[in-house]
Amino acid sequence: MLDSMYSMIALVFILVACVELCDAATVVDVYRLIQYDISGVPFGSRLATLNHHAGSLHFTPGADLSRTVVIIPIRELNITFVKEYITQRKPLGGLLFLLPQIFDFEDRGATVSEDQVHEKGLMKTVLAELEKLLIHANIPYPVYFAFENDDIDTVLSDIKRNDATGQPATATTGGSIDRVSWCILSVVCKSKSIEIQVVVSAPEPKRIASPTITNIQGWLPGLKADGDPNQLPTIAIVVSYDTFGTAPALSVGTDSNGSGVVALLEIARLFSLLYSNPKTRGRYNLLFGLTSGGPYNYNGTQKWLRSFDQRLRESIDYAICLNSIGSWDNELWIHVSKPPENAYIKQIFEGFSNVAKELGLEIGLKHKKINISNPRVAWEHEQFSRLRITAATLSELSVAPDILESTGGLSDNRYFVNETAIVRSIKLVAESIARHIYSHQGENIKVFADDSSLAVNPSYVKSWLDLLSQTPRVAPFLSKNDPFVMALKKELEDHAHEVNVQHEALDGMFTFYDSTKAKLNIYQVASVTFDLLLLLVLGSYLIVLFSFLVITTRGLDDLISLFRRPTSRKVKTA
Amino acid sequence: MTLFHFFNCAILTFGPHAVYYSATPLSEYDTLGTSIKAALVYLGTALVKLVCLATFLKVSENDSFDPYQELLKALIGFIDVAGLYFALTQLTHRNISQNHKFQAVGLGWAFADSVLHRLAPLWVGARGLEFTWDYILQGLEANANLVLSISLAALGSLMWLRKNKPKTLIPIIYACAGIVATMPSITSYLRRGLGWHLPKVVGFELFTSLMMAFISWQLFSACQRPSS
Repeated sequence: MLDSMYSMIALVFILVACVELCDAATVVDVYRLIQYDISGVPFGSRLATLNHHAGSLHFTPGADLSRTVVIIPIRELNITFVKEYITQRKPLGGLLFLLPQIFDFEDRGATVSEDQVHEKGLMKTVLAELEKLLIHANIPYPVYFAFENDDIDTVLSDIKRNDATGQPATATTGGSIDRVSWCILSVVCKSKSIEIQVVVSAPEPKRIASPTITNIQGWLPGLKADGDPNQLPTIAIVVSYDTFGTAPALSVGTDSNGSGVVALLEIARLFSLLYSNPKTRGRYNLLFGLTSGGPYNYNGTQKWLRSFDQRLRESIDYAICLNSIGSWDNELWIHVSKPPENAYIKQIFEGFSNVAKELGLEIGLKHKKINISNPRVAWEHEQFSRLRITAATLSELSVAPDILESTGGLSDNRYFVNETAIVRSIKLVAESIARHIYSHQGENIKVFADDSSLAVNPSYVKSWLDLLSQTPRVAPFLSKNDPFVMALKKELEDHAHEVNVQHEALDGMFTFYDSTKAKLNIYQVASVTFDLLLLLVLGSYLIVLFSFLVITTRGLDDLISLFRRPTSRKVKTA
Repeated sequence: MTLFHFFNCAILTFGPHAVYYSATPLSEYDTLGTSIKAALVYLGTALVKLVCLATFLKVSENDSFDPYQELLKALIGFIDVAGLYFALTQLTHRNISQNHKFQAVGLGWAFADSVLHRLAPLWVGARGLEFTWDYILQGLEANANLVLSISLAALGSLMWLRKNKPKTLIPIIYACAGIVATMPSITSYLRRGLGWHLPKVVGFELFTSLMMAFISWQLFSACQRPSS
């Protein structure tokens, strides 16, 4: 009987304790800044839990912000403030950046107007600068990103109002009495103001042990003539599909390199149609590669190439890598590491130029020498070149990106990508390769003509592009059997003859930490001073009530005698 | 810190009862037993009311004012009065004057009402981080309720315990008792029918409770004069 009673009481206590935690006025999804190490040097935000008061950019200059979370909408971003705080390592409770609603890739119902796209264009540069700053800094407090919505907007206006009233009057009128009364007034007003407290209860970020990178390859064999013992030559089309960005849960990388992935899938589809009929099968094998580890010096590509056997490596005629082909107007670049005078390079470039001329776009050649001793690999083709395989990268970027740049950040969004650009790139690459395979160089025959059964399918491109722009793909956070990776494999199996998946461990130079998504609770709390004041008021109310009741029911003498009782007793005993 | 807020609101809700008991001569005459008995009677009354409400009332989807339902609720509210009658007349009290009896009964009644209706929401709600004014307003409501209960007990004792009353005052006594008894329906009408917000309703309750207390005090002293 007693035992059951104890357990009942314990249950009641537990229930009561649980109820306390779920009563926030607003709950918002937030995404954490990436936390990673390069060779042991820490970068990114090192903390995840947050439990501080919220403030805005309108704080009093010189105020102590070490226990404040500053909420900054990107629209009003003052990059100098952020730069100052981060580079000078000033203490801060936390940072919360608010991205405009239209950046939200999960908000499918949003329709975008023209000026909204223009506004986003302006924001792109601001965001890019912010991202660069955040990725390469070591920040000892939590940094989160969230999307603006009505709840957060009202909260932010409350915070701004609070901060504005909290500012002391710069002009103080003379006289000590004035100052005293002003102090009292400000204390009273400040204590009655409702403060906003933001809480994120996230687990301590743990190191991701042995992150895997997954390479997917598809093989389309060519037509081997009977009795021909020689290995057929191979053309490889390689694309890296993973991204890296400021907020890993938001790094969808639509242009870098979602556009490349879509292009590869469409090219694979077209050539599988072409190769399905033995009469039209070319005498070249086609190798499609979807590699991971792109932002980390194309680590995945390197491991994939190392796994090739010598014969396959020698049979590769050339490899085309695609990187960011989604938002260009009229000009594309082919980047090579072998000198342009090289015969193979000349041949490839001429083939592409001819097709480009027909399609009405410009194509330029850029040469960048590789330095074997430098571990930095700026383009994917450089991994091929290091193994002496002729390769080139087709890209809209004219300059090689720095490490961890152009790898799919916050500003790399669906709205900035143009599927017609991707369709044109697909036409360019497919046509050039087809002419090389069927030796139609220079002839004006369109293999993948529009309105034919081999036309590029824009809706296929659009649907895969939409999917990619909603899937964050940072490699260490993709598990071995991640559904998206499996989907890519399955799609490639539809087109290619033989598909292999290779799992490798990411190079030890990069270490990543988990905890990328959390929920932010926003509470309106009254400060302790308010409760103290309330206690004072209540105490005086009860004392007044007591005196009133004593006076009305017993008389004033009784009230006075209450205070005189000790002395009267002493008199009595003496 | 928020436990502090809970403590503040608890003082506001339950403090006046304790203060009333200790400040007035109730503590000297040790009428705690009467108050406890009155509290138990309130408990029983509340259970009966609950059963009646569950049997007869329809659950409405929206929060609007339905006159028929409110009339039914008011009728069920008269069970309160019956309970008070029981507590005042049927329970055996020790030798305490009528003056103190109604106060003790009213106090016990109001305390039970506050505990039953306000303790649980206070414990669950006031301890969270989020701040609302609701619990302070609830405490003020509890204060108003205390005054109303004591006035109702006073009028009840006048109606049922005092035998020689001036004839002219009898209808006034019954009218006032009627008003105080139907006070819950009136506040519910204000909240739902007229759409008043909580602070306004609580202000109205405080005002009317003070008015009623004053009137019943006058009536009580008026009735007391002939006998003395």
